[in-house]
Amino acid sequence: MLTNTNIVEEKVRIKGSGRTLEGILAYPDGRPGFSALIAGPHPFLGGDMHNNVVISLLRTLASHGAVALAFNYGGVGGSEGGPADWPAVMSAFWKDGTFDEENDWAEDTRSAIKALQQWSHQTPVFIGYSFGCWTIAKHLQRSNAGAIVLISPNPKKHSFDQLSECTTPLLLIHSDNDFTCSAAEIIEWFDSIREPKTRTQLSAGEHFFRGSEAELASVVVKFLHGADIIRQE
Amino acid sequence: MNQPALDVFLTGASGFLGHYLLAELLRHPQVRCRVLLRPPISTSSARLQQLLADLGLDLSTLVSDNRITLVEGELPGSVRPKDVAGADLVLHAAGNTSFDADAAGEPIKTNVYGTKALLSLAAEAAVRRFVFVSTAYVCGEQVGHLPETVSDELPPVRNDYERSKWQAEQHVWDWGKRSGTATICRPSILFGDSRTGRATAMKGLYVVARATEILARAMDGSTNADRHHVPLRILGRSDATCNVVPIDWAAQQIARITIKPAAEPSVHHITNPNPPTHGEVKAWLEAFFDLAGGRFSDLHWPLEDANHYEDLFYSLGNICLDYFRHGLTFESRCAADVPSGRRLIDRDSFFQCLSFAQATNWGRSRGNNGGLVPPIGRIDPGWYFERFLPEAVPRSTVAKVQALTAVVRYTITGPSNRGWISRFDRGRLAETHREPTTRLEAEFEYRLTYEDFEDVVSCRKPLQDVFFYGSAEMFGDVEKALKMVPIIGEFLEEFPVSEAQSPPLAC
Repeated sequence: MLTNTNIVEEKVRIKGSGRTLEGILAYPDGRPGFSALIAGPHPFLGGDMHNNVVISLLRTLASHGAVALAFNYGGVGGSEGGPADWPAVMSAFWKDGTFDEENDWAEDTRSAIKALQQWSHQTPVFIGYSFGCWTIAKHLQRSNAGAIVLISPNPKKHSFDQLSECTTPLLLIHSDNDFTCSAAEIIEWFDSIREPKTRTQLSAGEHFFRGSEAELASVVVKFLHGADIIRQE
Repeated sequence: MNQPALDVFLTGASGFLGHYLLAELLRHPQVRCRVLLRPPISTSSARLQQLLADLGLDLSTLVSDNRITLVEGELPGSVRPKDVAGADLVLHAAGNTSFDADAAGEPIKTNVYGTKALLSLAAEAAVRRFVFVSTAYVCGEQVGHLPETVSDELPPVRNDYERSKWQAEQHVWDWGKRSGTATICRPSILFGDSRTGRATAMKGLYVVARATEILARAMDGSTNADRHHVPLRILGRSDATCNVVPIDWAAQQIARITIKPAAEPSVHHITNPNPPTHGEVKAWLEAFFDLAGGRFSDLHWPLEDANHYEDLFYSLGNICLDYFRHGLTFESRCAADVPSGRRLIDRDSFFQCLSFAQATNWGRSRGNNGGLVPPIGRIDPGWYFERFLPEAVPRSTVAKVQALTAVVRYTITGPSNRGWISRFDRGRLAETHREPTTRLEAEFEYRLTYEDFEDVVSCRKPLQDVFFYGSAEMFGDVEKALKMVPIIGEFLEEFPVSEAQSPPLAC
């Protein structure tokens, strides 16, 4: 596989359960070596497929030979659907930070996994960022992922029990000053989960990694090298 | 018959009363005015030019016609005897209306030391008459019928402003015993122009009206309050009065007294012979803001069982606590100047003044917006946060987000670095204040440049984009700030604004 800085980006439509989602498919103009799905942050917290972390990973991984897919959850951008009773959902979100309709967005992630598997038969890597960590983790059991990357998950808010149901190599990336979950809390959680796993702590990335996107992407690339997903440079 | 020329040395000409006084004096062809303006004169004369233009006068023409001479200086200290020499009289209308003493020494510095300095200059320059603009409420908490005399004893004043005016009156009266003729004019609370509603300073009754508007907004969208049954106890008596006069009438009276020759010292109450009762003011305010239910009470603040709306209303200014307690009447020779049966302030003129106040964002949108002056035609953040948001939020989806309770600060960075704080209570925008006029503690803050502010509120850029790729920053409880982003985003999509909506700004 060759490192390829010439990548193609296409807008794609993803058939979901009862709704069509929009996505960006990025791939090298040469032969791809793996596939990657990137699930972004919470739609109510600036989560769309143009998010700085999402788009940076999409392009970096495509340039390293991935067929990479990012998508918008239902109701975001050009994706259909979304919560019907917005004020009620927003109230629940404001109060508790979570609400039942989030399961629909987890279902959107499953639809995106299926679509990616139709476009590419290469080994998939699942990458979740923030809320996307939870939507990815919900579908690990039935996947054939070659690696999992979780960036700034919040185990205080969402359950990650499904992680124990697979033994795929896992990389956790977090910041030392994340307002959603302290470094101590995230390390304690990381210590409690199954092997194989790797953890990288970035400095001063907050939760958003603004200005640290390239550093973050390079950590992911290094890990995928180690996991033998990216085989050549 | 030609009247002899009258050379008036005028202070305070760029103030609310002062520029009306100048315009009134100039209606008399024999009057020439030397106008004292603070340095730098380029700035203060530009302000005066604008104020006079609003009254249909052109400062440049008046200067070139020798009706006005501009004098640069500041009291106390930087006015020279030669600036005053040759004047027939001094009309001292400059004043500081701060109720409480501040670190800069106001209001004592301007009202007492400034007056003393000007009296010395007048004596040195052999000016034979000194007209001083005081206040009818120099009497403090006195009750009953107030005569047009100067009291040797300090009355029971309520604040530093009243004290400073009483002290200044003492100096003026003493000057009159030694150096010339002293005339003291005591206007009551100034209100807008009876013909247009125009006002350039909005204190006194305006503060009460503004508090009522905020109370009305607090009722908007409230699920457990009926705006026509406002649970507000008004601390005062319905049949008593607070004396309020239109600015144009007050200026006419003071100008008339000033121009009329005087050989004896005198005091003149520039007061309303038939002011609205507190009951009338309450009824007019309720009608204007579509409220009802407030009732008068003999109780005193603090109320042991004050409800949320009472806390809100009475926290908006001490004037709200005092206003309806007034019950004075005034001796006044000016009363004869009001035609029988005519009221200086009635329901229509009251409504006109409040409409003007609202249209100018309570005096903030013309030259008084704290230095945050975007170019003409651009969106004024003060208008946006203080006027547009309170009107639009109750009609938006945000008002339906019942769980939304938060205190948020918006800071527009740049040379002026201005901030506003809004309190949301169960989805409704309970209050918004410009900093530093509020004691509200923000839970989180959005900070962004004026350019990004404009792009965001006009929906040219999503808020999250200016956060991820632009100038915006979040501080405090960032998780809450982030949660609020989609709520703000929904509002911005529902209520985008354009430059055309923002009121024009004088630069």
